[in-house]
Amino acid sequence: MLKLIQNEWMKLWSKKATWIMAILLIVILLANAGITKWIESTSPAPESDWQEMATMDMMMYQDQLQNSDLGPAQKDYYEGQAAIAEYRLANDAEPFKVESLQQQVLDSHMMLSLVTLFTVIVGAGIVASEFSQGTIKMLLTRPVKRWKVLTSKYITTMLFALLFAILTFVSIALFSWIFFGTGDGTFLVWNGSEVVEGSYWAEALKLSALSLASTWMIGTFAFMLGTVFRSSSLAIGVSIFLMFVGVQVVFLLQRFEIVKYYLFTHTDLTQFYTGFMPVPDITMVMSLIVLAVYFLVFMLISYWTFSKRDVTA
Amino acid sequence: MSNDKIVEIRKLSKTIGKKQIIKDLNLDLHKGEITGFLGPNGAGKTTTIRMMVGLMKPTQGDILIGGKSIRTDFEGSIEKVGVIVENPEMYKFMSGYKNLVHFARMHKGVTKARIDEVIQQVGMQNRIKEKVGSYSLGMRQRLGLAQALLNNPEFLILDEPTNGLDPAGIREFRMYLRKVARENDVAIFVSSHLLSEIELLCDRIAIIQNGELIDIKNVNEHQQSRYYIEAKPADQAKQVLEEIGFTVHPHENGYLIDTEAEHIPGAIKLLTAAGVDLYAVQPHRTTLEDQFLEMTGGGEIAQAHTK
Repeated sequence: MLKLIQNEWMKLWSKKATWIMAILLIVILLANAGITKWIESTSPAPESDWQEMATMDMMMYQDQLQNSDLGPAQKDYYEGQAAIAEYRLANDAEPFKVESLQQQVLDSHMMLSLVTLFTVIVGAGIVASEFSQGTIKMLLTRPVKRWKVLTSKYITTMLFALLFAILTFVSIALFSWIFFGTGDGTFLVWNGSEVVEGSYWAEALKLSALSLASTWMIGTFAFMLGTVFRSSSLAIGVSIFLMFVGVQVVFLLQRFEIVKYYLFTHTDLTQFYTGFMPVPDITMVMSLIVLAVYFLVFMLISYWTFSKRDVTA
Repeated sequence: MSNDKIVEIRKLSKTIGKKQIIKDLNLDLHKGEITGFLGPNGAGKTTTIRMMVGLMKPTQGDILIGGKSIRTDFEGSIEKVGVIVENPEMYKFMSGYKNLVHFARMHKGVTKARIDEVIQQVGMQNRIKEKVGSYSLGMRQRLGLAQALLNNPEFLILDEPTNGLDPAGIREFRMYLRKVARENDVAIFVSSHLLSEIELLCDRIAIIQNGELIDIKNVNEHQQSRYYIEAKPADQAKQVLEEIGFTVHPHENGYLIDTEAEHIPGAIKLLTAAGVDLYAVQPHRTTLEDQFLEMTGGGEIAQAHTK
């Protein structure tokens, strides 16, 4: 199996497109950091008082807490944020500025949608391209069972996603360090009963890891479509369409019970830590179960079609 | 012919939709023997070959390679098989060498030394590091052969291997195959609709029509000796020959007679004595094409040829 993955990895990186994606990712992140820096230096934000901001935040969060349809995760979040704001004011603990290494790293998980995009392209093409190039005939006439071939391709797609996620994280840390340097401030977390100082690296990694769930699901979906339809353009198109529209549909379905079983209600696992939840009464466990079921269905369809198919192309 | 069976096709059938493409096909292939697989377009050649290499699943029946069933022990049965299905499609964005490494990794025990050996064998040392995209069709065909030989196969399957090759390429390819069959005692199974090609290459020919095997014959089997005679005036020549007691068939501008070589000088004397002018006397071999058309009763190939 290791040799098969080695093969897939070799093919992947022998394609120019893969290198272009890697370069594109770095260029986008560099440009993002550069533009932020440029905006900061040309039109500096009015010297606002962080104490004033914290007071406003605290009031806003406390206001939110009065809202009766909050889910348990949201409630925790707002309680924690209000407590942190209060703590900051009481102990004169400054938060990070946006233009700082720390805040950029904390927000890095938002950039992972780029990784999802590239993973969709790779996942959709990794099986489909073998069919369109005709190489599938060479690949499947070896003494290797089909499910092993497919598994190696799936693992390679996921390794690619992981590599790109790490690349994103490291690039953001590096570029924001170059452009902004480490700023002053303390990172505070609410552990349920009190406010304590925490590690922003750990928090950033946690949020990134949770964001990868969405990359994983949409990547798997694209992989399935590529395997079933043997057309990478179709698979890429449908997957990217769903990636953008799928989340919007959550809002449409919000009032109905069915939304709880809908994939895109659950793909964003960071929602339990950022307070933004379109469907408030779901829990992390529930999301993980729903994602696992979707994953199994996608895999089952992929393996079934790939191992049963007569290759006539 | 050696009797070492390497491949046994047993009651093979394939139904796609409602149409039965292959009907109850039985065939054995032996070591060191090149078997041609011949049939009109759509007769089921490609389908049969795809079932033999695991690209399609048989509806019924089985294929045993080296005694192992392709249905129950796919990895075991295909281990010693080398395959070229139509134009060998390689990864164009990688070098020839990387392509070989790629396929070598999918077999057990193919070493780096073996890869180099195969490259030598097909004479590609000079360009093996270049991208396959830059290769000519002939070179790709050679690379295809190289990948098929990587695992020291005991059985080589080739589907329309010379499609798109120029005459020199075809000839070169044929020489390689013959060499491999002889030197490594490999069984080779070649499908083609190019009759002359098959005739030059193969020891044995299996003919398929409408999904059924209609004949298996050896190419160099002793044929009824025939002579072609062209003479003028033709009628008089015919008369003389019939008087001697030959059966005379009109053929092109002259006649064919069934006879052995020793009777020819006598016949020539008699013809000259009768005042007939002789233009040609030569041994006549029925081509495979004639035999094939006789067997399949014309059919699509005949129509294609007369056009």
